Amino acid sequence: MVDASVAKRLVQTIIDNLPEPVPGRRPVHTIGMGVKGKFVASDVARTYCIAEHFDGQSVSVSVRFSNGLGGLEQHDGWSDVRGMATRFHLPDGTASDLIATTLGEFFVRNVDDFFEFAKVAKLEPYRRRPWWLKLLDILQLKVPPRDPYPNETRNVDAGALCYANRHRFAQLGVFQVSLIGAPVSYARASYHAVHTFMVTAPDGVRRPVRFSWQPVAGVRNTELMEVPCDKYLRKELEDRLRRWPARFMLMMTIGEAGDALDDPTRPWPGTRIRVAMGTLTLTEVPEDQEAAGERISFNPCRLAPGIEVSGDPILEARLGAYEVSREMRGGCPFRFR
Amino acid sequence: MPSDEGLLDRFVDWLPKNPLFKRVASRTLVPFWAWWTPVKPLPGGPHPSFQHGDNVQCMMNLIMPLKIKSPIGRAEAALAIAQNKDAIYAGLNNVGTVHFARFVIVGDNICMFSVYDGDFTNYIRDFIATIGSVFNAVVELTEGGDDVIPCEENVEAFIQWVHERDLYQVPDTATDFLRDQEALNGDRAASGNDDLTLLPRKMVLQLRANANVSLGSGYRAYPGFSVAQVRKQLGIGW
Repeated sequence: MVDASVAKRLVQTIIDNLPEPVPGRRPVHTIGMGVKGKFVASDVARTYCIAEHFDGQSVSVSVRFSNGLGGLEQHDGWSDVRGMATRFHLPDGTASDLIATTLGEFFVRNVDDFFEFAKVAKLEPYRRRPWWLKLLDILQLKVPPRDPYPNETRNVDAGALCYANRHRFAQLGVFQVSLIGAPVSYARASYHAVHTFMVTAPDGVRRPVRFSWQPVAGVRNTELMEVPCDKYLRKELEDRLRRWPARFMLMMTIGEAGDALDDPTRPWPGTRIRVAMGTLTLTEVPEDQEAAGERISFNPCRLAPGIEVSGDPILEARLGAYEVSREMRGGCPFRFR
Repeated sequence: MPSDEGLLDRFVDWLPKNPLFKRVASRTLVPFWAWWTPVKPLPGGPHPSFQHGDNVQCMMNLIMPLKIKSPIGRAEAALAIAQNKDAIYAGLNNVGTVHFARFVIVGDNICMFSVYDGDFTNYIRDFIATIGSVFNAVVELTEGGDDVIPCEENVEAFIQWVHERDLYQVPDTATDFLRDQEALNGDRAASGNDDLTLLPRKMVLQLRANANVSLGSGYRAYPGFSVAQVRKQLGIGW
């Protein structure tokens, strides 16, 4: 268990790198929206995991979609990691959470890496690269860095790149972030829980797994070269759900001996067995967004019996960090079991 | 995107999209950088692995340039396959580890694309034993093929010949391609003094060295299952 002081340092480190503090709000993934829906497990899910939400009955679900940036400025159209935090409300009043983002792999392996990353990847002034330097990039067969978005004056890109150049484990995550783009809808992106979890089957077999949400509507990003629109994702989802529910398939990939179980920077090969665990149907954007999204306190380690954390040190650290963040912003406490 | 850009900014942004510039760059910049920072061809076939999931549904993408680069050469290749249809089906059924296999003519190349279970060398060895005559009929039409036929008498040389024509399989993640380049150069360090912004150039130069590649490990609807498991589950036996 990561001690409480480390959890506080983790959260403080994130807060210290914000353009300005946002008391009472999440330090990152600050802008978001709550959505209600139902999850129905597939008929094979129960053969892999005894967790209650995989037994086939319909379970009500709260989802909070979010932009990854910290702070109150809303930039839906900027290239950014998006979040999809899901709470499965179990019949006995407990819950199981699944926190996923559009980033397939994380960029640090453990807490020490994170602190080092945070030291290097500071917010720095970001300006358009002069034309002659862009020309030099092109002559070297490099792709010049993108131009700043309107009103984008600072970002962490240069520091993150510097960190990735020194640490090969970080390169995949940092590279993916640089190309991640902006979805046309929160319902048109894939979300990955990144960490490995252990699931227990009815016969007692424990398997290492990774979860992903796959949008039934398909993945689609906005056009890279268009001027990004700052506010569209909430209205788009409201309009979409007024017409028709949005669905996601929950896919569970089963790891094999030798796969990285405790390292979220390392992907698993696409050759692993992939099980369709169920379908999430989103139906409604509640009017009371404070209750539906802002006050809910998700935690990636709040898991129903039948799902356990792996030895992933980042997952372990998130347990405490999410609780510290909840206390700091006055989020609703929710029992773990 | 932003409005404060000048004429030169717009020109430089437009330049990489311009077909003429791409042609000029292909003839000047790419050869220059290939000379200045040479890149070795990466080997074909699946990456070695002991894990079960990596050893079922492996891909072979064999590209064999035809000796006679004309419709006549292509027709000869088509005829060689057509004449051996029974032998191919019987061989595939006997080998029993092949999910899919097909011959394709692309330009002046005869290609064999297949998805198989198990070790590559055993896969080719099994084929030589069951349909060696078909391989001989096809390979004799291709460049360099005469050196390895009859394949039944040149088993190891034939396996190496096939391996050399199997496409490099670019990893699913872009940065793993860098790890392949590093491994080929004997660099297995966990960290280095890299420059991630050079990834586009490294990709360009690698695709110069390996002009034909397979992109990613391929999508699988039921990953992790062998031919035998699928047939058993479906109750269609052998």
